Amino acid sequence: MNAHLLSIIVMAPALAALVILFMPSAARVGIRLSALLGAAVSLAGSLAALVGYDRASGGLQRVEDYPLVPAFGVHLRFALDGWGGPLLVLTGIIIFAGVLASWTLDRREKEYFVLLLVLVSGVFGVFVTQDLLVFFLFYEIAVLPMYLLIGIWGASHEVRASGPFAFVWKRFAVGDKQYAAMKLTLMLLVGSAAILVAIFALYLDAGGRSFDLGYLATVHYRRSLQVVAFPLIWLGFGTLAGVFPFHTWSPDGHASAPTAVSMLHAGVLMKLGAFGVMRVGMVLLPEGARAWVPLVGAVAALNVLYGAFCAMSQTDLKYIVAYSSVSHMGVVMLGAATLTPAGWDGAVFQMVAHGIMTGLFFALVGLVYERAHTRAVAKMGGFGAVMPGIAAFFTLACLSSLGLPGTAGFVSEFLVFLAAWQTGHYAWAIPAILGAFVTAIYVLKATRAIFWGPGPAESFHDLRDAQRTDWGALVLLGAGLVLLGVWPRLLLDTIDVRSVAHLAGLAAVAVR
Amino acid sequence: MNDLRTLWLPLFVMGLAVVVVVVDSMAPPSEGPRVGRGLGWLVVVGLATAFAATFFVDASGRAAYGAYDGGAWSVFVQRLVLGAGALGALGAIDDVHARTPDRQGEYWLLMLSSLLGMVIVPAARDLVLIVVAFELMGIPLYVLAAYAKNDDAARGRSSKSLAAEAAMKLYVVGAASTAVTLFGLALVTGMAGTSHLDGLALAPSTPLGTLGMLFVLGGIGYKIGMVPFHMWVPDTYQGARTPFVAFLSVAPKASGISVMAVLFLSGFGAHRDAWVVPLGVAALLSMGVGNLLALPQTDLRRLLGYSGIAQMGYLLLAMAAGDALGLGMALFFLAAYIVTNLGAFLVVHAASQDGRGFGFDALHGMFRRAPGLAVALLGFLLSLAGIPFAVGFWAKLFVFLAAWRVGLYGLVVAGIVLAVLGLFYYLRVLHAAYMVDDDRPRARRAPALGLAIGLCFAAVLGLGLWPAPLVDAATRAGADLLGHTAQFATR
Repeated sequence: MNAHLLSIIVMAPALAALVILFMPSAARVGIRLSALLGAAVSLAGSLAALVGYDRASGGLQRVEDYPLVPAFGVHLRFALDGWGGPLLVLTGIIIFAGVLASWTLDRREKEYFVLLLVLVSGVFGVFVTQDLLVFFLFYEIAVLPMYLLIGIWGASHEVRASGPFAFVWKRFAVGDKQYAAMKLTLMLLVGSAAILVAIFALYLDAGGRSFDLGYLATVHYRRSLQVVAFPLIWLGFGTLAGVFPFHTWSPDGHASAPTAVSMLHAGVLMKLGAFGVMRVGMVLLPEGARAWVPLVGAVAALNVLYGAFCAMSQTDLKYIVAYSSVSHMGVVMLGAATLTPAGWDGAVFQMVAHGIMTGLFFALVGLVYERAHTRAVAKMGGFGAVMPGIAAFFTLACLSSLGLPGTAGFVSEFLVFLAAWQTGHYAWAIPAILGAFVTAIYVLKATRAIFWGPGPAESFHDLRDAQRTDWGALVLLGAGLVLLGVWPRLLLDTIDVRSVAHLAGLAAVAVR
Repeated sequence: MNDLRTLWLPLFVMGLAVVVVVVDSMAPPSEGPRVGRGLGWLVVVGLATAFAATFFVDASGRAAYGAYDGGAWSVFVQRLVLGAGALGALGAIDDVHARTPDRQGEYWLLMLSSLLGMVIVPAARDLVLIVVAFELMGIPLYVLAAYAKNDDAARGRSSKSLAAEAAMKLYVVGAASTAVTLFGLALVTGMAGTSHLDGLALAPSTPLGTLGMLFVLGGIGYKIGMVPFHMWVPDTYQGARTPFVAFLSVAPKASGISVMAVLFLSGFGAHRDAWVVPLGVAALLSMGVGNLLALPQTDLRRLLGYSGIAQMGYLLLAMAAGDALGLGMALFFLAAYIVTNLGAFLVVHAASQDGRGFGFDALHGMFRRAPGLAVALLGFLLSLAGIPFAVGFWAKLFVFLAAWRVGLYGLVVAGIVLAVLGLFYYLRVLHAAYMVDDDRPRARRAPALGLAIGLCFAAVLGLGLWPAPLVDAATRAGADLLGHTAQFATR
């Protein structure tokens, strides 16, 4: 049991999906409980794995190896490392909360939970796999079900097709959630195509024997190859991480998706992108990374600032949160671009912190929308009087978003900005800090407009606060934000082990 | 005696055909329909038995004065066509029974004749035998395409029969391609001074011989629907009965690819410089034209037709690699393509039984009316699009890797970009099946058709989760034909 903990974490949601597939559609409670059970097993397993990680010895632990295509060196190789542990826990928390947040879903629940759980299996797989091809495989699994999840259960509202290919979209997918779903899927898969090309180049250049990430990291690739391959990986994975200007799928996609899917997508999936850039791009291609880092950092700083300004000008609550994700993912990429332990620690910590925070945000937005049936901030006001619980948690998420000390958001932003300043990248740090300042403006403005001020309009008087299962999601996520804010070492020590090891390996390869 | 053991499979298929004829003609006319459905099952069981027997009977060695070789290569391709034949027959039983209850014997006899040719093709090592077997495979298909001539369902808006048009196109194009192939082979024989394959490899290259090779490439290109010889594909797919198209869209392509492998990789292997550029261009055009023209299609059969052209383009990438590894990966792709495309066409056929024809609206509400069918369709579409864990993902991956390994970087990048573009139309089909509802009631479906779709789906998913055995078998088969082993490892 213990020896297969990682397989259990990865397979539990998929098995739950399989069970649900054979349940009758009428078994509404059974379907939900199975989904919750699958998510709970993964969450418990992730926590056990994190607690059981031996920080003193570091490295890869709980290694499991199953040959998939041995002839070409493709192995299903799972192992836990300092980055994977915290991100597993993040994924576990978000999917558990996500299933709870989907409790009130009212149509085609069976297919919904099957797709959601399959997707999460893919996410877990990415974080523990140590094989480049399997990494890509799980990455694809995590991306694809999104098309159906958004297309079927998404919110029906108008999304205007824009951009140079707008006429194509108009021809095939009229401007609604189908447009958002198609745009998201195709943009992410163009990114995947770029990644695949880079994978071919690395695999065959390293001798064509193995896709093992540990082995590939010891190979010294030609500088010309590194310089070409790194941007492919950066932009390929970066599309999912919301790297400017390839972030445009994110606001439309997140705004159209159902609550739990937004939570999962903004909370976990965007992290897959950043994780891929660091784990594959920067670790395997140190020289390529060094050559491109000035651009990576500059774009990341632009992301922070641009995302914040975009969020400020939105009137739709879900778009505000979506653009704030674009902005916060910029912090992750900025930390990665510093290539220092502090920056990488901050980046990974920000993945967790932002994941929990944005999960909480989307859960709350879902609750508010369910009750008020509008997402237009201008129509809301004074909701704090009728839904105090929701208001309190929303404020908490806002405080973390603007980086208030004592919340998780502060720790990561502090680390990242510090690392940027220490390495002398003032040109990155200053716009990024300015972006954090703009964040404070728009989140506080939004909170005030929605929850505080004079009591709600006549039509909103009978809105209810959060109900039974809703609380589960809110408390879990809110507690995570505060806990990580006051006790960051809980995760930071583990993360740091891996960051230092990767950077040392990077330096060693560069010297050779 | 050894010859008989080596030749057991063609003899078995021929015997099966004879049994079908005898049973069909012995049955009293009044009981035709009942016997007829049994006839279909007889064919399926016979082919499945042959498929299973290939794992136990050792047919290796040469027979018929060296013209027939029953090694690992031949066995692998034979399994592919037998599998395609068994699944295609299984999917067609009910349709044949419902449409033409009184003349089912003809249908199965023609199909088995074609299969006999397909079984001989990969094993043939002499140009004469190759041509004869190839024609044995092709000619029954023309007749089968016209089988639905009097069928209302096959008529378009105008009164003329689409089935007749389908068969005519297939026939004219097929006959022309045979002529071109024959002319090319005549030139090649002139170059080599022998019709035996082993002699071709040793022949010096001459300009006329090179011209002959290009003619042969074009002739085979017709059969597999390679651009620019693809014109017949969408029209024939649209006009003929869909269960037959399911078979037509996979099995003859397996034969065509095997002939291409035997002639070009093995026979003209030493002259790779002469044919690799035309083949690469054809691969690029197939991927491009197939994917781009599939985008605006409104008929599912035409869409799958163009998608099939694109799939052949990917496959040709691996053939252009020209080594044993590329051939092995091409075989893997072929196996994946057979189960996927066959399944997809059968799903389209099943959906059309609910009375909305073959447009996108035939799929509307499928998730509610036929959830099992919808899940199967999802699997086939993801496999065609190359998404893990469907077998099509591995197929595309291996093909691209094999081509990248020998330096065809541009083609691989083009292929990957076009594959993403291709996803667009597969998602449109998915959209119709999953996101648009209608009010039609659940329909009853024939068990044989459901079984065929289920088997295809199981293969798509099973091989996607654990591709290793098929990879090993395909690599071995490729190595057997070309006489050397294959690995990605370069240093």
